[in-house]
Amino acid sequence: MAGASTIITDDSLLSRLDQKLFRIEGWLALVSGLAVFSLIILAVVSVSGRNFWNQPIPGYVDWIEQAMPLIAFMGIAYVQRQGGHIRMDLIIGLFKGRALWVLELFSVMIILVLMILLTWGSFEHFLRSFDFAAPLWSRDSSMDIAIPLWPAKLIAPVAFSVLCLRLVLQIWAYTRAALHNVEHPIAVPLIEDAAEMASKEAASVSGFDETRG
Amino acid sequence: MRHGADLMTSIEIGIAVSVLMLVVVLLGMRVAFAAALAGVVGLVWIFWSKKGYDPSQFFWALGIAAKTAGQVPHSKVASQALSLIPTFILIGYLAYYAGLTKALFQAAKSWLGWLPGGLAVATIFATAGFAAVSGASVATSAVFARIAIPEMLAVGYDKKFAAGVVAAGGTLASLIPPSAILVIYAIIVEQDVGLLLLAGFLPGAVSALIYGGLVVAMALTFKNFGPPVGGFSWWDRIKSVPSVLPVVAVVLVIICFVYNPFGEEAWGTPTEGGAIGVFIVFCMALISGMRWPELKSALLESAKLSVMIFTIIWGVLIYVRFLGFADLPNAFADWISNLDQSPMLTLILILLAYAVLGMFMDAIGMLLLTLPVVYPAVMALNGGEAVTAADSTFGMNGTMCAVWFGILAVKMAELCLITPPIGLNCFVVAGVRDDISVQDVFKGSSPFFVADAATIAVLIAFPGIVLFLPRLLTG
Repeated sequence: MAGASTIITDDSLLSRLDQKLFRIEGWLALVSGLAVFSLIILAVVSVSGRNFWNQPIPGYVDWIEQAMPLIAFMGIAYVQRQGGHIRMDLIIGLFKGRALWVLELFSVMIILVLMILLTWGSFEHFLRSFDFAAPLWSRDSSMDIAIPLWPAKLIAPVAFSVLCLRLVLQIWAYTRAALHNVEHPIAVPLIEDAAEMASKEAASVSGFDETRG
Repeated sequence: MRHGADLMTSIEIGIAVSVLMLVVVLLGMRVAFAAALAGVVGLVWIFWSKKGYDPSQFFWALGIAAKTAGQVPHSKVASQALSLIPTFILIGYLAYYAGLTKALFQAAKSWLGWLPGGLAVATIFATAGFAAVSGASVATSAVFARIAIPEMLAVGYDKKFAAGVVAAGGTLASLIPPSAILVIYAIIVEQDVGLLLLAGFLPGAVSALIYGGLVVAMALTFKNFGPPVGGFSWWDRIKSVPSVLPVVAVVLVIICFVYNPFGEEAWGTPTEGGAIGVFIVFCMALISGMRWPELKSALLESAKLSVMIFTIIWGVLIYVRFLGFADLPNAFADWISNLDQSPMLTLILILLAYAVLGMFMDAIGMLLLTLPVVYPAVMALNGGEAVTAADSTFGMNGTMCAVWFGILAVKMAELCLITPPIGLNCFVVAGVRDDISVQDVFKGSSPFFVADAATIAVLIAFPGIVLFLPRLLTG
């Protein structure tokens, strides 16, 4: 589940960088949330326009397709920071201390290599549709109302680069944890058992009802 | 044409890479990245093998693989159908702020409380109602653990059973539309989203009825079970209706945008229907006192869950791109459909495998990782994508078989939300109630596990329950 694991902070350089990057990641995630909301507004305007004023939004589907990359990619580093990308922790949860940090370190290093490749690959995908010489700098455009596609294609490599930064910080943090064999390292999500995860999940939907009575 | 020797090798590469993926998933790598990694490694391997593993060509293969994989995230994600996923996630969070949970429970209590085991039955149907405005199981259980358990305990229900009812009721959200997991299934197997959403409706209702019947039967059998709660006048009942009307409105809107029961054109697309549904609940939430801090938290939570799901989707689709090169799904489908046993037995074994896998893995991750290989095999069992109902093994055409299998697989995956060791719904209920241990919730929900097994058997024996509404849509 997309829960948030516990992340320890202190005033070391690593932790300060972690928190700075987390601020940026938080803003990007909020952009993604607002893009979700824009889907709702878009549909309401489109349906009411079509039915009441006989005037649908031109390029409704085109705009949805532009918004989707914002929703799908912008929060990717935010979720990685909080340990929210799902995994099976049945086996890794058995490890403790140095063995655990080394295992996590390997996993994060492999993901970094993968994401560098994908950042490059998705940037190439963007370059194929971007051209300074073309009108609106664009070699291709959407089906209905011809919006340039390169801005949407640029979102993936941008979000992936932020994820790469996050992974570098996590490599640093896990290396430090493995070297000093600490029990509760800073700046990385700590493994939680299902019970801890569940109590957070539950807390995220509590309070509102009680206060309203 | 490739000749035989090459084909062998690429299938072997496919198997090797898939095994690698399972190993890193088992070792705890994030599922999304494990799938993307398998895809990229596999692509490099396949391209490099075509050059006879010439060391000077390795970086060429790496480059082609990165470019092939790099197209996938944007090109697959920028689709109208996928926009339903964030929409259905947001509606669940907003429904909570709209105060619909309490209203539903009040209404269900006043209408159904007189039954034997009345409060538990009311809880089941209130969760089913909430499922109609929420696409996620876990949140449903969390919310109702707060509202329904205290009332059940107050009239003397067994603690374990009260907790079990709430945990089990939460699983209904996965079938009753809007269901995020059914949208994901539809996209991965390239079937119509509207068909699957409609298809979930009756099985969801049947599940709720079977749960309700089970509670009544238990209340009649065991002494000192929770008493019926009476004392509601017809006026009380009628008064409780207006506050749950938004739920009815959302259901009607979503259905009418997919399929117009009055025989005219549907009102629009499922995408629009979903979004209008969210808008209704959003207005309700505003009226109930939601302001920017709550909205912001709902948006941020929706963004997080959406990103998590989309990352798995594009990760798996990179793996799927590689599988296409490796020809593995076809090979697996050939093997499955030539097994020397009845196809129905094979299908049931596949579903049982899901039940076992689901005990250790999140439902969405499990379905996404396995469907690229399992789904073509199931289609082959039935006689292929284009088969007609008359020529097919299971007596339904290719599209209907896809819908039917989707509902069965999702029901199977959700069953695991109430089984040990990681049944998340049970943990959530125990997390909300400090006085109830997880073991107790697992014990309390075990009767519902049996009920679910019965439901699945019914859906296998009578596919008509699943396919009735989709058949209306396809004519």
